[in-house]
Amino acid sequence: MVLTPKGFAMWHVWSLPALIVGTTIVLSIPIGLYLAWIVDGRYQPPRWLRWLEKRVDTGAQDWKQYAMALVLFNTIMFLFGFALLQAQALLPLNPDQRGTLFPTTVFNTAASFLTNTNLQHYSGEQHLSYFSQLAVICWNMFVSAAVGFCSLAAVTRGLRGDPHMGNYYLDMWRVVVYVFLPISLVTGVFFITQGQPATLDGIAEVRTVEPDAMGTGEDGKPMPQKISRGPVAPIIPIKHYGTNGGGFFGANSAHPFENPNALTNYITCVNILIFPFSLVIMFGRMLHNMRHAAVIYGVMLTLFLSMMTWAIYWDTLHANPGLEGQDVTARGAAVEIQKLVPLPVDQELGNLEGKELRFGTSAGATFSAVTTSVTCGSVNCMHDSLNPLAGLTPFTGMWLNCFFGGKGVGLINLLVFLIIGVFLAGLMVGRTPEYLGKKVEAREMKLAMLAFLIHPILILAPTGLFTATAWGEQSTSNPGAHGFSEILYEFSSSSANNGSGFEGLQDTYGLADNPNPAPRSKHWDIATGLVMLFGRFIPIIAPLALAASLARKKQTPFTTGTLRTDTLTFAFVLLGTIVLLGALTFMPAAVLGPVAEHFGSIPFGR
Amino acid sequence: MHMLKHLGASLWLLVLTVVLCSVLYPLALVLIGQTFFRHQAQGSLLDDRGNLVTDPARARGSRLIGQPFKGDEYFQPRPSNAGNSGYDASASGASNWGASNPLLRSRVARQLGPIVKYRSDSPTKPGKPVRDDVEAWFKMTVKDNPELVRDWALEHPALAEQWVKENTEAVQQWVKDNADGFALALGRSEEEIRNNLDWSARFFFILFVQRYPGSWPTVEEQTLVDPETRKSKTIKGIKPVEDGPDVQAYCFELWLQANKDPIQKGTILLEQVPADMVMSSGSGLDPHLTLKSARYQLKNRVAEKQAQRLLETDLTVARLLEEAKKETDASKRKQIEEKIDVAKAQVRKQLEDRLGKTLEQRVTEEIEKLLLEKREAPLGGLVGVDLVNVLELNLAMDARMRMLNHE
Repeated sequence: MVLTPKGFAMWHVWSLPALIVGTTIVLSIPIGLYLAWIVDGRYQPPRWLRWLEKRVDTGAQDWKQYAMALVLFNTIMFLFGFALLQAQALLPLNPDQRGTLFPTTVFNTAASFLTNTNLQHYSGEQHLSYFSQLAVICWNMFVSAAVGFCSLAAVTRGLRGDPHMGNYYLDMWRVVVYVFLPISLVTGVFFITQGQPATLDGIAEVRTVEPDAMGTGEDGKPMPQKISRGPVAPIIPIKHYGTNGGGFFGANSAHPFENPNALTNYITCVNILIFPFSLVIMFGRMLHNMRHAAVIYGVMLTLFLSMMTWAIYWDTLHANPGLEGQDVTARGAAVEIQKLVPLPVDQELGNLEGKELRFGTSAGATFSAVTTSVTCGSVNCMHDSLNPLAGLTPFTGMWLNCFFGGKGVGLINLLVFLIIGVFLAGLMVGRTPEYLGKKVEAREMKLAMLAFLIHPILILAPTGLFTATAWGEQSTSNPGAHGFSEILYEFSSSSANNGSGFEGLQDTYGLADNPNPAPRSKHWDIATGLVMLFGRFIPIIAPLALAASLARKKQTPFTTGTLRTDTLTFAFVLLGTIVLLGALTFMPAAVLGPVAEHFGSIPFGR
Repeated sequence: MHMLKHLGASLWLLVLTVVLCSVLYPLALVLIGQTFFRHQAQGSLLDDRGNLVTDPARARGSRLIGQPFKGDEYFQPRPSNAGNSGYDASASGASNWGASNPLLRSRVARQLGPIVKYRSDSPTKPGKPVRDDVEAWFKMTVKDNPELVRDWALEHPALAEQWVKENTEAVQQWVKDNADGFALALGRSEEEIRNNLDWSARFFFILFVQRYPGSWPTVEEQTLVDPETRKSKTIKGIKPVEDGPDVQAYCFELWLQANKDPIQKGTILLEQVPADMVMSSGSGLDPHLTLKSARYQLKNRVAEKQAQRLLETDLTVARLLEEAKKETDASKRKQIEEKIDVAKAQVRKQLEDRLGKTLEQRVTEEIEKLLLEKREAPLGGLVGVDLVNVLELNLAMDARMRMLNHE
């Protein structure tokens, strides 16, 4: 049933997304310029900071050295994260006595946070100590976020034709210390004032107002409500600025301690979007080609706004069809499924299953678009319970992964689409394709295709494998097409380095002494762990090589025959390339999942 | 040499970023929080007057975390899937059920059964609750088809499986107690049945209906006293029933489908329940209800119960209630209960004469005032509808009712 709220209620639905996007666009310009200033090394820090900078600065690097440094540091990150997580039970800051995690879960978590994915096959408040939260999770959030940032800086330098790609370690230092740390500190203080805990005390056990509201224990005494807390405020700002998304608590940003009210929710959304938006400005500034950046920004914004509108239309402006029943009368089918009597529920606020009330009417759908278009993976509502077609928004965000995409990597993905677009357009008019005055030839196209194709392969191949075997079948918690969507979502999220989930999927082993782990959790741990690693590094390294290869070429003179990349026409070429390639790759999977669920019988298979 | 340089820089970067991001930065925030915003930093705990406190021993909950309320005299929060039985603030979580999942519809229907009413303009029974009709329908239907519950289980395997899963303990106990029947019906030995409880539980409904035709299974707590240690222990056991909350809940949807025609024709009109009362939140800890839901609960349940509570604080009534509690003899207790009713009616009349309106009206007035005081809206109403914080509201209501009592 389509809901048609009137007057003020309709205003409620669209005011929040407008506010979020408007604020982000305005802020992205000064912040983008600031980023270019930092990344180009024009900021002169005080002497003691400069001394520290010198420790990490190993001098100018070509693309191979840069990539090597990146891989080396990421290997160290992995080892560091793995060792500390595995040793959790022996380490301090563990007031609630969390035990040892199962090794496959440790592998998955180390890979997940290293790759900026933050897919969580554990539940924060149940499985991690405060030490793990701060030393592994929080640290990885800062550092892994900087990795994507640095890759974009390097690629941009290559495209600009710099003789070298910069220095990886120095880039990392600058991004973490001059960008992420100060802004996170300020945001963290604000979040504390709004109610995010900042304590090292363990669970608070409180007597409930009705004495036996939580039930009675074995001894017949009323049970307290156990309230998990911890150093939440330090983690949440960087969780969003770094488009990380791994929650302190299992329920992520739906949890009242992570997201106490509508104001924090609004600011959280802006935090998630701000760097991916600003990086396009930084890109334009570094290339001295703002018109070109504006074209990219416009294309990204168009895609982003349409996906957001789609989610809100199908989730907030439609009731949950599960309560209404839906008939299926397939022609020629032996069985005709009749529509059930609708349940007497007033769904004027849209689909409320898995939603919190305090954020606002359309906040869940809006957040689902925000978090998946920039590979954040934080959630303030449960994506598994989104209305079937609304679920297409997070899917599309992760599949295309370029509007605006993760910090740095999103824009890199878009550049891959752009190279392909330039190539197609070049072929159509019968000229050697060129980008920024450099000829795009066979080597560049091979690298671009590698970077493009790895993503669908990493999603669709394992989805097929798990769907066909008991590994998937024994893990889904919803029947039919929706169960398939859960599997598809898990791999889409892993490969896109997003980290959100259709969380009904049974993928949590938990602590090593868990007597009843999810039956196939080990398979999920290993498979998604590998997908995240490949899905992270191939799409970073291939474009690095591509940019270096372009940088080496001679500048071709600008003539009337040159395909301009800073015009409206080119914007349409780019948009068309993205939509076409995305649709060609993922349409069949989309039809088997959310679309089939939408048109199929609801409820399915009673 | 080249590699060493890389390794050195990597290690410097590792150490520096760990010190900055994992030690100094969180430390700074925790110190700032503990020094300047201690209440928030400790989890926004509330004492029984609704004031912020930092000591969990004095706290009755957190302002930000939803707390369950079961009594009819309180506003009840949204359904929760946090932990095994809901509102476990150390295991946040949601149902994660999609729209096409039959479990979602079934859960909502079960919540609706005991509370749904006919609309005031319904041609049939305006304003009456449907639960009595659902029970009547069940009793009538099982006369023709005593195996109703088995048919239900076979037609809705997902729901039956979920029922067994939610009540595993009780079902397994029942299987053990009835192992002979299971052995006979399934052609296995009793020992095999006892050793494969998971497997046997699948046939629970089939066996149940053989033992208790014409009834619905429900789970209730039974107190067992160990004859040796004399310690009492509560366990969950299966009990066959013909009415009560489980019949109202599970049979509501069956009743709805059986009345498809009158509902479509409009001879039965049902009042719609606000969605947030039956759809569970993302964290399982949502502290809010919509103002609309709160008003719905006030009208249908809370006002009446609060009025009763006021009457029960009258000295005479309270003394009689105390007596009734102590009395073990059933017939004497009945006498006392009659006295209680008389006393309550007296007090009510006195009060209502003085107020010039019914007690319920007065209570509703007072709580409605409270609702308006306590309502809040996302970003001041810019992005969402009016809400109330359930814990704060209930604490304030308790205080307000004490005041009203003095009055």
